[in-house]
Amino acid sequence: MVDYINIALKGIFIENMIFAYFLGMCSYLAVSKTVKTAVGLGAAVIFVLTVTVPVNWLLENYVLQAGALSWLGDEYATMDLSFLSFIMFIAVIASIVQLVEMLVEKFAPALYGALGIFLPLIAVNCSILGGALFMQERQYSTIGEATTFAVGSGIGWFLAIVAIAAIREKIKYSNVPAPLRGLGITFIITGLMGIAFMSFSGISL
Amino acid sequence: MAVNKDKNSYTFLFAIIMVVIVGSCLAAISMGLKPAQEKNQVVKKKMDILNAIKIQDVSRLNAIELYDKYILEDECIVLNEKGEITGAVAFDVDIQKEYKNKNLPVAERQYPLYVAEIDGSKKYVIPVIGSGLWGPIWGYIAVSEDKKTIFGATFDHKGETPGLGAEIKQSFFTNQYDNETISEDGNYKKIKVVKDGSGTEPQKVDGITGGTITSKGVEEMVDRTLQVYVNYFNK
Amino acid sequence: MSENQEKIKAPKEPLFSKKNKRLVIEPLNDNNPVTLQVLGICSALAITVSIEQALVMTGSVFFVLGLGNVIISMLRNLIPSRIRIIVQLVVVAALVIIVNEILKAFLPDMAEKLSVFVGLIITNCIIMGRFEAFAMANKPWPSFLDAVGNTLGYGFVLVLVSLMREILGAGKFFGIPLFGDRIENTGLYKLGYMDNNFIILAPFALFAVAIIIWVQRARNKSLIEEH
Repeated sequence: MVDYINIALKGIFIENMIFAYFLGMCSYLAVSKTVKTAVGLGAAVIFVLTVTVPVNWLLENYVLQAGALSWLGDEYATMDLSFLSFIMFIAVIASIVQLVEMLVEKFAPALYGALGIFLPLIAVNCSILGGALFMQERQYSTIGEATTFAVGSGIGWFLAIVAIAAIREKIKYSNVPAPLRGLGITFIITGLMGIAFMSFSGISL
Repeated sequence: MAVNKDKNSYTFLFAIIMVVIVGSCLAAISMGLKPAQEKNQVVKKKMDILNAIKIQDVSRLNAIELYDKYILEDECIVLNEKGEITGAVAFDVDIQKEYKNKNLPVAERQYPLYVAEIDGSKKYVIPVIGSGLWGPIWGYIAVSEDKKTIFGATFDHKGETPGLGAEIKQSFFTNQYDNETISEDGNYKKIKVVKDGSGTEPQKVDGITGGTITSKGVEEMVDRTLQVYVNYFNK
Repeated sequence: MSENQEKIKAPKEPLFSKKNKRLVIEPLNDNNPVTLQVLGICSALAITVSIEQALVMTGSVFFVLGLGNVIISMLRNLIPSRIRIIVQLVVVAALVIIVNEILKAFLPDMAEKLSVFVGLIITNCIIMGRFEAFAMANKPWPSFLDAVGNTLGYGFVLVLVSLMREILGAGKFFGIPLFGDRIENTGLYKLGYMDNNFIILAPFALFAVAIIIWVQRARNKSLIEEH
């Protein structure tokens, strides 16, 4: 249990997707002008990460890794398909996003209204593929750990985008030097927030 | 173009052809480059071992040659947790994989020992692996012929903070391990990593300022691994 | 912009016509993919710790974008529109795998340092963005030039940021110490100079990009945003 809490907290604060690795910056910058849309996109990221990372974990452990195919029989035990992992991960992500979009539209129209327009954006959000690649690199040993990591990173991303959106809403009223308005000042604020988040890095759980 | 691009059959055909072409291209490239990639990993491992016994000017080009020159392949052995020799081949043991594999009981981990000979004196090279702040850290410790003091050490890491934890690979940190005692009168001695400049005991190494967790990780991995080997040395 | 480019159809047009030149030059300043179109930032920030890494990353992106743009452009009349995004993804992913395998085979140390960020070229928005906005509507040659221009714009920002970070943060240029030996305490370090370790850390990359944006927009007032 402690392990899981550890992984989740690490994902949210210490190894925050935005502040520690800059993943998903494109949509983070583009969709953070108002808190409302930021909440929508953030929720969609949590959702998609939570669904895709476990699926990719299964794929990694039962298909792609060296020796992962041994459940098919001994003659497959030496197969190493790991060179296909990028293409498989992105295919899984793209198709799951598509599937989720259709399911949500059919069964939860209210949710679709809130998340709908963000879902297609997410297929090419670096944080989703980043989640899958970190999962592969860190070799989480159970699907539970992988899922916890996914939820944690999703929440971390959500926090980051909602926080920056709230600041950007207020910064309209400040007298920012003209050339820095918009993109420039957002970069600087993100940098400052990153420094603040660095203070979590000494925590060992 | 006479083909109707919106027909389902066309879409499927296109998708199938694409998958076949892309799949076979990637498979061919991956197979073709595999030997080079595997060789790189072997060379890297040999370079690390050579660096631990302080061979100068090791590069990717001469690593294999130097390795064959200095390492006594026949004397390299693999130990188990209790310090007994198993029959496995030292170079084939992947301790990084075993360390990460949580399904493998700690008691079943393997402990390879490389034996080198430089100018007639023997050195024993011990691989170590542990966890830093951000990810795995690892290294090689070379023990002198008397099996009681450290001859040299190297450390490396995956993604420690540059300027802080990442400094463990710098010589000013690793050189502190030289000539430290690991065993006295048949007893194992722990090497402590302490805050810069503090501590009075002889068995200490100054940690990295601002890289406490990584430094502690080094202490833990060296301590945990050396116990097993000292056990074997003292037999 | 794409309708505009559709006019480049005249077969007699020279390889480096005015329009084609513009394709290469524009992304370098007034239409920079990183600082203006806000594309491909993830990797721009994460790997700019050293100049060498920045150059290898730019090279990888050039390989993927250049080849990808040409392939997509050649196939543009064959790709079924319903699955075009998937087709584009497959092309990017396949090219990235090739880059990754090549790096692992010939530049193993670099491959280790770049780790997951090579894989993340797949979701580098510059690539998908250029496929969709340019290569799908243009012939191979202009598409290739478009790739050259955008990679240059991307690489320009990367190299600039990494220059600041490597020189000020690590006191090195291409891994060669500039100011003497820090540990031996020679050269400038003897006079009390210290490397600014903060500059190596992640947040400074954001400040560096902000500085570039500031300079760029101060020179060209038309680029200034309202908020």
